[in-house]
Amino acid sequence: MGLREYVIRRLIYMFLLVIAVVCFNFFLFRLPTILFGVSPVDLMIDVNLRRNMTSEVLEEIYARFGLVPDPDIFDWIYMFWRYVVNMFTGDFGYSFVSQAPVTDEIMARLPNTLLLMGTSSIVAIILGIFTGVKVAADPGSTKDVGAVTVALFIYALPVFWVGIMLLMTFSFYLPNLTGGLIQFPSGGTITPDVWIAAKDDPLGGLIIAGNILHHLILPMVTLGVGGYGGYFLYMRNSLIDVMTEDYILTARAKGLDENQVLYKHGMKNAMLPMVTIIAMTFGFLINGATLTETVFGWYGLGRYIFRSLIILDYPVVQAIFMVIAITAILANFVADMLYGVLDPRIKYG
Amino acid sequence: MSTDAGKSGGWKDRNWYVSLSGFWLQYKKHKIGLLGIILLVLYVGMAVGAPWIATHDPSPTAKVAPNYLAPQWVSVFDPEGVVTGEFMPDTGFNDTSTWMIDPEAPVSYKNGTNQDEFEYVYQEATGDNDFNHVNLTWTHANETMDWRTPADPDDNLPAANDFIYFTQQLEWPYESIPSDVNMTLDFAITRTGDFAELEGGLMFKVYVWVIDSSGNWRNVYRSYPLYSDSYRERQMDLSYLHIVDGWRGMVENETGYQEDETDILTVAVGLVPTAVFRNFLGDTPEYNYTGSVTASFRSISMIAYGEYFGLLGTTDKGADAFSQLIYGSRISLTIGILATAISTAIGVVVGLTAGYFGGKTDEILMRVVDFLLVIPGLPLMMIMASFLGPRTENIIIVISILGWTGTSRLIRSQVMAEKNKAYVESARAIGASDTYIIMRHILPNVTPILFANITLGVVGAILSESGLAFLGLTDPGQPSWGRMLADAQATGGFTHGAWWVVVFPGLMITILSLSFTFVGHTLDQVLNPRLRER
Repeated sequence: MGLREYVIRRLIYMFLLVIAVVCFNFFLFRLPTILFGVSPVDLMIDVNLRRNMTSEVLEEIYARFGLVPDPDIFDWIYMFWRYVVNMFTGDFGYSFVSQAPVTDEIMARLPNTLLLMGTSSIVAIILGIFTGVKVAADPGSTKDVGAVTVALFIYALPVFWVGIMLLMTFSFYLPNLTGGLIQFPSGGTITPDVWIAAKDDPLGGLIIAGNILHHLILPMVTLGVGGYGGYFLYMRNSLIDVMTEDYILTARAKGLDENQVLYKHGMKNAMLPMVTIIAMTFGFLINGATLTETVFGWYGLGRYIFRSLIILDYPVVQAIFMVIAITAILANFVADMLYGVLDPRIKYG
Repeated sequence: MSTDAGKSGGWKDRNWYVSLSGFWLQYKKHKIGLLGIILLVLYVGMAVGAPWIATHDPSPTAKVAPNYLAPQWVSVFDPEGVVTGEFMPDTGFNDTSTWMIDPEAPVSYKNGTNQDEFEYVYQEATGDNDFNHVNLTWTHANETMDWRTPADPDDNLPAANDFIYFTQQLEWPYESIPSDVNMTLDFAITRTGDFAELEGGLMFKVYVWVIDSSGNWRNVYRSYPLYSDSYRERQMDLSYLHIVDGWRGMVENETGYQEDETDILTVAVGLVPTAVFRNFLGDTPEYNYTGSVTASFRSISMIAYGEYFGLLGTTDKGADAFSQLIYGSRISLTIGILATAISTAIGVVVGLTAGYFGGKTDEILMRVVDFLLVIPGLPLMMIMASFLGPRTENIIIVISILGWTGTSRLIRSQVMAEKNKAYVESARAIGASDTYIIMRHILPNVTPILFANITLGVVGAILSESGLAFLGLTDPGQPSWGRMLADAQATGGFTHGAWWVVVFPGLMITILSLSFTFVGHTLDQVLNPRLRER
């Protein structure tokens, strides 16, 4: 089977996954209707408010969400049809709460989430690969055992707790101790005053960037720590595997010095499985980090999906869930392709 | 391993013993593995023994003290700080010398001119009555009473000069006032004559005063009808003004000056006629009444809260952090272990089926796995937990639904490697059924790999549970570490300087998941020979 056929097969497979996700999403958000006979609209509208509504108003609200009150089987089919059409045309409807199009709400938060997740993942990946290679050169050494123990420790940490601890140290205790010399913001994405002051400043862009960076550091470190352990362990194990291969022995026999063997021959090959992992990571980027974003009050998608869920803003939750899942599928596809391109030994099948 | 096990000899030659002891010999070489097991035993002990270890009500909403009190041992750095404790020297009236001003002179606890009407009796516990009592009685017989004119402007003293009381003294050793004071008074009231017939007991009240050593009386409690003749506890939460007024005189200021000479505080409990009695039916209604009222006291206690409380301080709602922390281990262990058990069971069944039968079955099952792998985990758990309702069993279901995919892939690949080996072929050749081959040959050979996978699964489940609890998706009645952190975060715990509500729950989660990680890592090294040289 050639590359072309392989790509087509993966494409078809990806398309099937997307359809599966679309269907799953439909039923997931109608779970209350299926299980308890209440639609998301029922949950949102107050009972007293509902009593005063004319049936036209109620039906209008239902229609907005693509729902039918007390659905029978034909209504279900109709609802599913409406939903599928809306999803594939990118019409995610309006937020119950802000009344703005869900797409706008998502787009407003997407850059923040990408910034946070992107920077933290890059830091974690680079550090993970670097330290993983360092340690794998000499497995079983004190350095290696120590580093693995630290990685296991990080793996066991609840990330949101790390965030709270950092917040407590760097935005409360240290500012108090150093008299405000070391001061990190206690939350948010940007200081509103800075935003207002810098809007008309010719160098405002720099000030704003600096301010956002200042807000970014703590959540970035939190997420970076959370991801580091996994990357490190994966890189280390992958490289240790590679270093037992015959071609490494050959390289050593040629008289190459150990650094060349490690970085030129070992690391390059050990990076192959890492590429898949990294591609997948970037697929889950817009997933956001609900917990970390909640701790730091970061204006991003992860916090938004959680808050919307709490206040029963279903169109938003449904749309974000859908977008996240589809991005993950795309990233999966890209990872498969990359792996095939990078490793010519792979047989397509 | 022994090859002729099970034949004869003691249980030491049994197969299971030999393999287990062989395993243990390998396992105990790993220090972190041993550490993990010790920690796990401690945690399980904590979860099982929670009712005995916990010092207070573990409910996150049960207020036992003012909020954000620091742990008691922190007071080492602050010798003047008030440590929470019971300050009444004799709560059950056991030692008469502590609570009477002068036992030889009963007159001193009667007040006013009309003393004949009041009587004081001390009863020691007898066989059919397990408690010591102090009875204060007012027997009224159509006589004029000595009303206070003008009335006390601060309303600290009752309307009549005539009343009866007893006192107990306590010493306040600290140089700062308490953050809160709770008193408990256990009493019953019996009435005779007109007092018994009249509504509710408008004629008298039980008063509690705090008297500082300068002799200022401050009324901190007065009883209200309806009165019952069986003993009931009354909780008195002293107001901030009462505390400031009562304790200020015993606290040195910056220059070392103290208003009162001594650190002695007197608590007085009395039975007093009220102004209602006076105003009822004209100026001197007492002429028209006869009867008696007896207040019988069984215990009095006073807890003064300082800046320090208990082993780990209090939370934002004034609940005891230590008890919550102890009980929190239950939910983490329950969910961690049960969710992993369920997801491992699903994973093993799916992995075995897919790997052994292959073909279409394999294809379909693996597509389901692929699908679950692209679904974002935490959002799905959040959505399902909030739809199903955040009860413990639902959290378990939600976590296990996503947890089995890794296991099933692992098992599948092992089974595929195993099923083409010669011993399986030969078993099939002699007519063994699929079920027999799976259960007797394949499963035992893939289980060693499973153990490390299970322990790491528990770590994931524990972290998921705490994350969900942090987002508020947890059983509202159950204490959980994630919830403690959520409460601390939502109410700005550390901005009140309450680092203990942030540090300890997180440490508990970390150490528990770390011990599982250590055990899992060690199992991996012992049971997977391929990895052993790493």
